Amino acid sequence: MSARQMVALVARREVRERLRSRTFLYGTLILLVCVGASAAAPALVAPETTYRIAVTEPVPQGLGPALERAGDPFDTDVRLQPVGSAAAGREALEDEDVADALLVLGDDRLVFRTTVDTELAAVAESAVRTVRGHAPPAPELTADTLDPDNGESSDAAVLVAMAGSILLLISLSVYGQWVLVGVLEEKSNRVVELVLSAVRSRHLLAGKVIGIGLMGLGQLGLVAGLTAALFVAGVFDAPASLGVSAALVVSWFALGFALYAFGFAAAGAMASEQQDAATAAQPLTVTLAAAYMVGYIAVSADSGSVLAHVLTVIPLTAPLVLPARNALVRVELWEHALAVVLVLVSIYALVRLAGRVYDRGLLHTGPRLGLRTAWRLAHRP
Amino acid sequence: MSVIPVEGARATEPVESAMSPGHAPAGQDGLGLEHVGKRFDSVQALVDCSFSVPRGRMLGFLGPNGAGKTTAMRAVFGLVRIDSGSVLWDGCPVGPSRRLRFGYMPEERGLYPRMPLGPQLEYFGRLHGLGARDARDAARAWLTRLGLEDRAGAKVEELSHGNQQRAQLAAALVHEPDLLVLDEPFAGLDPIAVRMLAEVLRDEAARGAAVLFSSHQLELVEDICEEVAVIDRGRVVATGDVDTLRRASRRRRIELRLEGAETGWLPGVEGVELVERRDGEIRLLTGRDVDPAEVLAAAARTARVVEFRYGPPSLAQVFLELMER
Repeated sequence: MSARQMVALVARREVRERLRSRTFLYGTLILLVCVGASAAAPALVAPETTYRIAVTEPVPQGLGPALERAGDPFDTDVRLQPVGSAAAGREALEDEDVADALLVLGDDRLVFRTTVDTELAAVAESAVRTVRGHAPPAPELTADTLDPDNGESSDAAVLVAMAGSILLLISLSVYGQWVLVGVLEEKSNRVVELVLSAVRSRHLLAGKVIGIGLMGLGQLGLVAGLTAALFVAGVFDAPASLGVSAALVVSWFALGFALYAFGFAAAGAMASEQQDAATAAQPLTVTLAAAYMVGYIAVSADSGSVLAHVLTVIPLTAPLVLPARNALVRVELWEHALAVVLVLVSIYALVRLAGRVYDRGLLHTGPRLGLRTAWRLAHRP
Repeated sequence: MSVIPVEGARATEPVESAMSPGHAPAGQDGLGLEHVGKRFDSVQALVDCSFSVPRGRMLGFLGPNGAGKTTAMRAVFGLVRIDSGSVLWDGCPVGPSRRLRFGYMPEERGLYPRMPLGPQLEYFGRLHGLGARDARDAARAWLTRLGLEDRAGAKVEELSHGNQQRAQLAAALVHEPDLLVLDEPFAGLDPIAVRMLAEVLRDEAARGAAVLFSSHQLELVEDICEEVAVIDRGRVVATGDVDTLRRASRRRRIELRLEGAETGWLPGVEGVELVERRDGEIRLLTGRDVDPAEVLAAAARTARVVEFRYGPPSLAQVFLELMER
């Protein structure tokens, strides 16, 4: 039997057994409910929003009432404010207290300050269509922003960055601990001896990490999918780069998980009893939390600082920092490339080292192995 | 006959002298351990350990606790990296793909506690190279054979202790292994389970599998095994078929039952020692050179001899004799 088949068998068991457990299903459900709730929350907190929309003169008759009617389904109140010219409208828009959007009817353009508000865009679109007596689906207006590259991050971008990195921190910790508990469970109930009589330890390790990683990717994929669906449906007021952010979060979960999971597996193999699990996981959960904290502080202080750049490419922090920074500012392509290369190299090195610790630790009975003993075991021929 | 014991100092030579004729020498056919050595930090676990288990034969692996039985068995599966010597199957070094054809029941029993029994056996079948359908069929067949067919959907942790033992056995057998290695398979079993397991092992050997198992239950081993290997402090101190080992002993066993003898009677023949008195039966151990007729005559002088048996010592006595050295 080939190594690949062996790894696939082990991975399939991990997935099947976890799908069988209610914990995973409930966990996924709770996450999805959280996403749904966060979409519904603003509507609950502020049941009626008032938009102020500047419209270049001449304002067509009936546009005001049409805007009011179009806003009804969204529980929004739209106030129309005529402006003399596009330039005057631009001035109004630049002042946050005067207008939220500018409708330039001559050009069929709807201009926002920094990000497109999908709800207001939909309302304006519907109102203009009604006034002109057109039928869907041809769009009446093109949405635009006043100054998309002003370097300032919008509130929505900050939210995406924070949510993305928190989601990554939680997923990496949770799935990393799954690996640890899975390894420890096999070791403490001794089934590992039976398994290792047929499977090589590195294949067992790879299968376990891949199986649990796929579960994590599936769960994150569902969350990202639901977020994207809500975004498309116009429920979220999100920056246009949300799709890219979601893709980065999912792919950096894969890379970050691969990096941390082997560490968690080695930690599991070094422990001996289920009670040790939390202690054994500590060095890794602390590292993850520290990476998150340092990244958070550095990026929120100045996302363009040298420290922020460095943390973007360092393997231990990249999974938590890169997607967040990318949601806020433009991360250069070379930085993406460098971060990926460095993390892949680290994964390779860690697989070799953690693989040895795992191999020696698995069949080691007795008290928990200290780091020094594990290191010695790993280097024994 | 230069059968046993193999002196510690001479243990470097392959131990095969007590092998009955017609058996392949060590490592030629079936499992062979040749000159295997293993050291754990300060403990020399195996010293030049050699023995073989031909296909279709059952070998009882005997030795006191800590003698190296488990280490030798784990070495067969690569779970212990040996320092020297080799583990062979049909004369060739054993590697990972060969091991897929071996079945193992470790001393520390363990299965996935929350995984249902049926799928678990299928999984172990598949890990050993069975296709999906073959694994399912084999799992079902073993569950039926071991009387667990109605527990296929139960989690292992929900099974009774006895049923967990059966499940463990099924996990070792599901892929119809060429070699079956069981570490203390009879420990903790009730008499019915012992009989069932003994039958399964006999059937496996009859099917052509080489069967190696360790045990402290020497009467049982004597009952079901043709051959044994005895290990002490990492060295194989005797190996061969049970009858030959017993006959090669320098001692003989005498069991007699007397009527009208004084309590505490002893034959008073030199070289005869009392093993035990129980329910009117007197068990004696003598040197091989002692004439049993002398003992019989001494008994007849003092009482009526109702029963008198003379023969080689039991395997348990041979074992103790070996350990005394």
